[in-house]
Amino acid sequence: MASIVRNTFKAIKEKGLGTFLRELREEGYLRCLPDGNLLQTKIHNIGGKVVGVDLYGNKYYENLNAQYGRHRWVEYASKNRYNASQVPPEWHGWLHHVTDHTGDEILMLKPSRYGIGHKENFTGEGDEKIYHSKGHALNPGQRDWTRYQSWQPGKN
Amino acid sequence: MGLGSLTSRAMIRRASTILNTTRSHNFSLVRSIVSTPELKNTASAAAEATPDPPLPPPRPPVNNARVHFPNPEDAIEVFVDGYSVKVPKGFTVLQACEVAGVDIPRFCYHSRLSIAGNCRMCLVEVEKSPKPVASCAMPALPGMKIKTDTPIAKKAREGVMEFLLMNHPLDCPICDQGGECDLQDQSMAFGSDRGRFTEMKRSVVDKNLGPLVKTVMTRCIQCTRCVRFASEVAGVEDLGILGRGSGEEIGTYVEQLMTSELSGNVIDICPVGALTSKPFAFKARNWELKGTESIDVTDAVGSNIRIDSRGPEVMRITPRLNEDVNEEWISDKTRFCYDGLKRQRLNDPMIRGSDGRFKAVSWRDALDVIAEVMHKVKPEEIVGVAGKLSDAESMMALKDFLNKMGSNNIWCEGNGGQPQADLRSGYLLNTGIADLETADVFLLIGTQPRVEAAMVNARIRKAVRSNHAKVGYIGPATDLNYDYEHLGTGPQTLQEIAEGTHSFFSAIKNAKNPAIVVGAGLFEREDKDAILSIVETIAKSANVIRPDWNGLNVLLLNAAQAASLDLGLVPESDKSIESAKFLYLMGADDVNMDKVPSDAFVVYQGHHGDQGVYRANVILPASAFSEKEGTYANTEGRAQQTVPAVPTVGDARDDWKIIRALSETAGVNLPYDSLIDVRERIRTVAPNLLSMDEREPATFSTLIKPEIKKEINPVPFKPSIENFYMTDSITRASKIMAQCSSQLLKK
Repeated sequence: MASIVRNTFKAIKEKGLGTFLRELREEGYLRCLPDGNLLQTKIHNIGGKVVGVDLYGNKYYENLNAQYGRHRWVEYASKNRYNASQVPPEWHGWLHHVTDHTGDEILMLKPSRYGIGHKENFTGEGDEKIYHSKGHALNPGQRDWTRYQSWQPGKN
Repeated sequence: MGLGSLTSRAMIRRASTILNTTRSHNFSLVRSIVSTPELKNTASAAAEATPDPPLPPPRPPVNNARVHFPNPEDAIEVFVDGYSVKVPKGFTVLQACEVAGVDIPRFCYHSRLSIAGNCRMCLVEVEKSPKPVASCAMPALPGMKIKTDTPIAKKAREGVMEFLLMNHPLDCPICDQGGECDLQDQSMAFGSDRGRFTEMKRSVVDKNLGPLVKTVMTRCIQCTRCVRFASEVAGVEDLGILGRGSGEEIGTYVEQLMTSELSGNVIDICPVGALTSKPFAFKARNWELKGTESIDVTDAVGSNIRIDSRGPEVMRITPRLNEDVNEEWISDKTRFCYDGLKRQRLNDPMIRGSDGRFKAVSWRDALDVIAEVMHKVKPEEIVGVAGKLSDAESMMALKDFLNKMGSNNIWCEGNGGQPQADLRSGYLLNTGIADLETADVFLLIGTQPRVEAAMVNARIRKAVRSNHAKVGYIGPATDLNYDYEHLGTGPQTLQEIAEGTHSFFSAIKNAKNPAIVVGAGLFEREDKDAILSIVETIAKSANVIRPDWNGLNVLLLNAAQAASLDLGLVPESDKSIESAKFLYLMGADDVNMDKVPSDAFVVYQGHHGDQGVYRANVILPASAFSEKEGTYANTEGRAQQTVPAVPTVGDARDDWKIIRALSETAGVNLPYDSLIDVRERIRTVAPNLLSMDEREPATFSTLIKPEIKKEINPVPFKPSIENFYMTDSITRASKIMAQCSSQLLKK
């Protein structure tokens, strides 16, 4: 405990109080006050080892000394709006003890030519974020159903 | 498999049944694939004399074909399945069966090609013949008893089908011919339900025949229809057979493309999916398509076509049988121009603003602007030009409208300055396309039928092949696909013939049915009256025009030409376009725009953004031939109708309706509101345009025309069409036609 306080003062001295407070907010320590879930994660992080960070900034921790089944966890990049669908598929397996290969290792196996990027579940986030099929009326890039190509007037 | 193997198998079978009593597993020694159980024992089935059931009533001939007896005493009587039919001498057994209403399965036989007899599918049983005979190659003899429905005939077909399917790939689900494949249909009707072939199928390398015909040569069954078509009808020796036995392949002898203007027809005659349409490949299935029986407008022949569409899209164009016009062929331009109907389309009325840019406007605004300008200019400064693809109804409306506005300067492009529209015989193919076959001497003057009217050229070639007709040609050096005598390049040669000093004159004079064909490209020449007058002199002195034979022909270039001259679209003055203040282009793209004064107001009404729109002030979108009902007269004066196959694009309207609406805005109402009313108006001008699908020959021959003495210009004749594949706004918009002209016209 004493070391934590010492480190805190050291950091304030090095970065200045303003920077320290901004980082405190960005790292989500301030969100810990209303959000016990996040606070629990932060406390759990102590002693944990960062195994990897995915493309979206989610951090994956492992602590083999922790209780079995609670030894792998994620700290989401978003501190105020997080849910399980933000974990990309390559990390999902590692996180749920399906595999011991980390997401970074699995990404190396992914063919570069195809595969679209992971998207979290946007249910309830508004029409513009929801997936619409290519013929759907709300799809902004609507499919063109005209079967002819019209003449476009040029300059002359 | 011959009859010998059939009987030997039957004997083995009988022997095995005897053995069966002792060793029952011996039964599997002989494995028959014949699906019909009564066929398993042909010998005993034939031996059992069952009492004949009463015969059903005789069937009508296949496709209700009529039999033409050139010589009544040459009729012979044959018996098909017990019925007696009378056929002319020289008919084959297969043709006799067709007359009796029995459709014999066939692959290699095609009624318009020579007989090959190599597919063996048409085997029938003939009494007193030791083996089944190939009916397509066997002449019918008097008293012949033909049996098409006996176990032997059925078994022979099953055997042939099994051999054909041995090396045929099982790719019907991905084959473009699927659904309209002869092999598919006939294997369902006549084939066995199983095969015994377990080895590897052979595979053949595909050949590149150019941008139109796709080849999958593994599917080929070597019927040689395409080879015979190319050498007999199309007149190019491009295709041939290489190798023998299982190594037999169809192909071009050396690596080259098929350079024929009729090459698309091999797609239709190929009974399997070996030759299919390249632009249509994997685009649609034939059962999804809606067929609309229409008329082609890309040349003056008026070939009968079926427009196959799916939804709002034309998917392909195929020929329709019309013995008098195109038989069952069409040219490549007709068949593959359809993708031009989907590109460069005008879909909104547009007005050119003061900044020189077009802006889409409403119909009302566009018509108001035109009406306002029309009332500002003097009536004689109003000029109207109808395009190559215009139908008779719209030309009638345009002429009536401009006449009501006080102008009579209206013509159809391609007819030259002062067309001779007084005598119909002066601009028609008077002999008729079908009757050209019977001619024995041709004189082609300034015309290259191969590029101007490919179907007419096919008829001339037919005459050259069957009657050994002699062809003389005056014009620039060209490649017609038959032997011809190149007499000269200009009008001087014509004059020599007229004077009788040229050797070809005696050939015309001594011919039984001479045909003189004048190209419509001459209409553009200054001295065309003098040239036509010389041609008429030749016709008179060589007795080309007789009561039973009119051999003086004009071969027109465009679909609209004949109807426009019938309707009297003749300009009042020669130089009207130079003094025009208001120019109405109804789909006219080949007007020389440099001659139009810079202050003239140009209205372009048409379906494609082609050469005409670039000088236009107002654009009115119209419908193309696949989208409207219109009357077209072909080069022999046969009125035919197009039928809408697909909806119009965007805001486009029918041509005559636009002019009708414009007349109302301009305050000179045209007195018709429906297509029927327009046709009633046409009836008062040119009633021949209303007798559909019938050729109305000209009443008076050109011989009553007074002779015109004018100086001829010794300038040689020019080719009237530079590029066969791109002649009008539709074909110029087509990507396939662009590919053809870059790959096939390469010198």
